Amino acid sequence: MRQLRMFRAVAFSAFQDGVRQRLFLLFGVFAFTAIYSSVLAGVMAVDQEGRVLADFGLALMELTALVYALFAASSVLIREAETKTIYLVFSRPVPRWAYLGGKLGGTLMTAALMLLVMAAMHLTLLAVRGYGIPACYGWALAGSFLKLSVITSLAFFVSLFSTSAVSTLVISGILWTAGHFVSEVRFLAGQAHGAAALALKTGLWLLPNLQLFNARDAAGAACALGPAAFGAAAAWTLGAFLGALWLLSGKEF
Amino acid sequence: MSAHAVSFANVEKTYRRPGLLGSAYTTAVKDLSFEIPAGEVTGLLGLNGAGKTTIMKLLTGLLFPTAGKVKVFGHAPSDAAAKARVGFLPELPYFPPHLRPGEALLYYGRLSGLSGPELDSAVRAAMDRTGLDRYADKRASEFSKGMLQRLGLAQALLHGPDLLVLDEPVSGLDPLAIRDIRGLLAGLNAEGRAIFLSSHSISEVEKLCSRVLIMVKGRLAATVKRSQWEAAPGGLESIFVEAVS
Repeated sequence: MRQLRMFRAVAFSAFQDGVRQRLFLLFGVFAFTAIYSSVLAGVMAVDQEGRVLADFGLALMELTALVYALFAASSVLIREAETKTIYLVFSRPVPRWAYLGGKLGGTLMTAALMLLVMAAMHLTLLAVRGYGIPACYGWALAGSFLKLSVITSLAFFVSLFSTSAVSTLVISGILWTAGHFVSEVRFLAGQAHGAAALALKTGLWLLPNLQLFNARDAAGAACALGPAAFGAAAAWTLGAFLGALWLLSGKEF
Repeated sequence: MSAHAVSFANVEKTYRRPGLLGSAYTTAVKDLSFEIPAGEVTGLLGLNGAGKTTIMKLLTGLLFPTAGKVKVFGHAPSDAAAKARVGFLPELPYFPPHLRPGEALLYYGRLSGLSGPELDSAVRAAMDRTGLDRYADKRASEFSKGMLQRLGLAQALLHGPDLLVLDEPVSGLDPLAIRDIRGLLAGLNAEGRAIFLSSHSISEVEKLCSRVLIMVKGRLAATVKRSQWEAAPGGLESIFVEAVS
């Protein structure tokens, strides 16, 4: 119970810090501009305007929240070590899981809030253009959040062994991009032979399948994310978290 | 209660810095053995790079010894039982600039395991004790160095520790702030708390401590009691200069 209260204190503090940061405001402005530009793109799509407005806006929202979450995840531990704030935490009886879990939880809460704020902007712009809430909109947001959860926990893991925030950003960005091509990698692995096949099959084990969370790829009645998607997100997030915790538990400050 | 707040037995700490052509190793402290008696004020003197901060971090569980044993009230420093009895003030502590002292203390109080009315009264007591109550409405960004040091001390005091570990507690402070901090530490020691502080200021250590450890290049060069430096011509300064030269 006491340790859970410590976890909650770290998470709430990370959330407050995230919301207060100018970075958050900056991304808010960027998101508004990007979503507004999707309206302009939609106008050019003629008879597919509604679909383009919805998909383009959702993609921009996901990318914006992703950039925010990756920036936060890649810099938070480095910043706390540089400012010595971490000394005040780990000289107390705070278990490392509570600290790491709190930071991850706080970052994800901030990213979730960001998604909700951007969704409100997006839906307002759609309403102005005369469109209602697009099909599967809620599931698409849930999918984006699951992707953020997986990639943010992976970024925390990477940040604990990479040499700088930039390298964490780059590695996490590569993982996010490659995670959208898992079915293609699987196809290639089936076609390849020898070392190439082995490398591709190993890659499949190391890559989170982010395509599982693309709700609008299966537009229509089948867009709801199934238990497999939630299970995969939970497994990847937990796996990356445990890996990060293992690295953090041996880390000195 | 253990008679010693802290004991170091043959402690060595070597830092490893990985590089492209293999790792580089630096030994910060070696063959280090000493005790800090409960309830006493012990000072740690040494030139830059003597290993003072390494010792502070070893006994707060921020670093792990490469060899030897460190015990804090009979526990390993990384044990929650040890940490619950230690308050740590790092050199030049940082607080988020937007936070008011009460907000920062609430956060660190929660991390010390306090909650509810116990937390509220601990925060009030720490602010009162350090004179922060008069600045409760200011943000950390408006604080002088002296006020930040008081806030650092307040966070170290929140959970009523039996041992205070203070890394350069008067570094960069003006004479009035130094006098205030000195008075505060003397009061805390009078309550029976052990204090272990490192400093570059020999005169401050001389005023506050009953015993001083002098570190030279990672080794304990001398342990000096108050009676010894009071009897020595030139006081603690001459003993220190002799030890490091």
